Amino acid sequence: MGGVLDFFTNTLGGLWSDSGLHALFADGGWKNLIMILVSFVFMYLAIAKGFEPLLLLPISFGMLLTNLPMAGLYHPDLWVLVDGHVNYGEVLKEGGLLDILYLGVKLQLYPPLIFLGIGCMTDFSPLIANPKSFLLGAAAQGGIFFTFVVAGLLGFTAAEAGSIAIIGGADGPTAIYVSTRLLTGGGAITTGNIALAAYTYMALVPIIQPPIMKALTSKKERSVKMEQLRTVSKTEKIIFPIAVTIIVSLLVPSAAPLVGMLMFGNLLKESGVAARLIDTAQNALMNIITIFLGVSVGATTKADQIINIKFGGVMLLGVIAFSLGTTCGLIFGKIMYKVTGGKVNPLIGSAGVSAVPMAARISQKVGAETDPTNFLLMHAMGPNVAGVIGSAVAAGVLLSVIG
Amino acid sequence: MFSYPVMLADKVLHGTEKLTGTEIVSMTLIGLLVVFFALLILVAFLYCSGGFFKKTAAAPKAAPKKEAPKAAPAKAPVKAAVPKPAAPAAEDDSEVIAVIMAAISAMGAAEGKQYQLRSVRQVSRGGSGRSVWAQAGVLDATRPF
Repeated sequence: MGGVLDFFTNTLGGLWSDSGLHALFADGGWKNLIMILVSFVFMYLAIAKGFEPLLLLPISFGMLLTNLPMAGLYHPDLWVLVDGHVNYGEVLKEGGLLDILYLGVKLQLYPPLIFLGIGCMTDFSPLIANPKSFLLGAAAQGGIFFTFVVAGLLGFTAAEAGSIAIIGGADGPTAIYVSTRLLTGGGAITTGNIALAAYTYMALVPIIQPPIMKALTSKKERSVKMEQLRTVSKTEKIIFPIAVTIIVSLLVPSAAPLVGMLMFGNLLKESGVAARLIDTAQNALMNIITIFLGVSVGATTKADQIINIKFGGVMLLGVIAFSLGTTCGLIFGKIMYKVTGGKVNPLIGSAGVSAVPMAARISQKVGAETDPTNFLLMHAMGPNVAGVIGSAVAAGVLLSVIG
Repeated sequence: MFSYPVMLADKVLHGTEKLTGTEIVSMTLIGLLVVFFALLILVAFLYCSGGFFKKTAAAPKAAPKKEAPKAAPAKAPVKAAVPKPAAPAAEDDSEVIAVIMAAISAMGAAEGKQYQLRSVRQVSRGGSGRSVWAQAGVLDATRPF
């Protein structure tokens, strides 16, 4: 009888010590509990508030899964570099589901594939009709490089500063692409931190941008009605992606995977002869990659990598990056307003920070608040899509210079 | 074994090292310059190609004008065949107004009300340069934003 009782208590004790509940209340388990609560906040924002739900929901659920102790879905120790390389054989042998999905992030497969889908859905006509928009897209990238200055002065390493700065590009896939390449493991900042900050602020664009836009522009400037854009021919639309791919790839080769896939998707769209491929790229493929990317990036937000002072710094610098990008775009918009004799509404400058199409919508919204008969949406789409190309070029520069 | 293409023979900044003031300033200036330079080339390309396509688009319109004098012997039939555009436009407007008025009258008749058309005036386009219908269309399309 005593033997049975011992076996029973030993088995129960073993089950308890192997359970996630025990780990949750063990040393440091409170951090997991906080991250689980944070994941609930993100789920709330995605479901109830509709903030970037297609990305925040997978990210938040990945966050939940990875912070459930003992679940073993993701193992950060497998991604630590050994002799400068990840042991991929070990990942395939010992890794959990989210480790396998994370391979697509680590090998930089997902961001270019997301760009393929974005290219299929993007209309570059406003940019082709008004090439000056490219300058606004370039100016808004000032947010990236000025944040690099701030991060550098605060003592972050070159790789960390570059990864934080790219948040200012307001482009999730680009931020993940750059940070995965630069943050090769071992540091306090991970790709998960960067992605979390980037997507949080992208979701908060409608809150961050309008006050800056109103503060930096006068009512007269906001009321400017821009001339209707010219009609762009189909041939121009077909030549555009090919030309951009060649020009950008020759100038900044490290931007080629992102820009190349973006333009490939756009060529599929504009060619008008690949309906099936477009359908797959912008629907099924895009959705699959979004799920894989979101869940696996969420998985990298392990409690001990998030709850530290450096992550607080990343979040702070992230909002500075967004604000600086918006400010640079607006200032250049004001310069164009002066140079053109009041023909350009400076509000479209803030759309240069990528975040397609949210930033363009904000330009439209703020412009319509000043004059309800003013329609800036199409004009703002020019800098907006130029910002996507601009941030990819800026990413290429960072990757070329920082080793 | 897969390896990334070599972008620069030696990376200028080492990722694991902290940045000096010179490196920060240099990186910022180089970054901004390269981004502006790359996008300026694209702007130049778009202006050149845009100019070319505008010219080619305008060319077919010019062609019929040149051909018109060649058809000089058939002067009278050509004149008869090409009606003045202004007159039909006015007739079309009246017809459209009559149809709209008929629809309004039919709606009013159901409620026992009678309507009378007193005048038709052009409304202000609010400086947007669009017709009323185009304005309504744009408003409808952009309202969700």
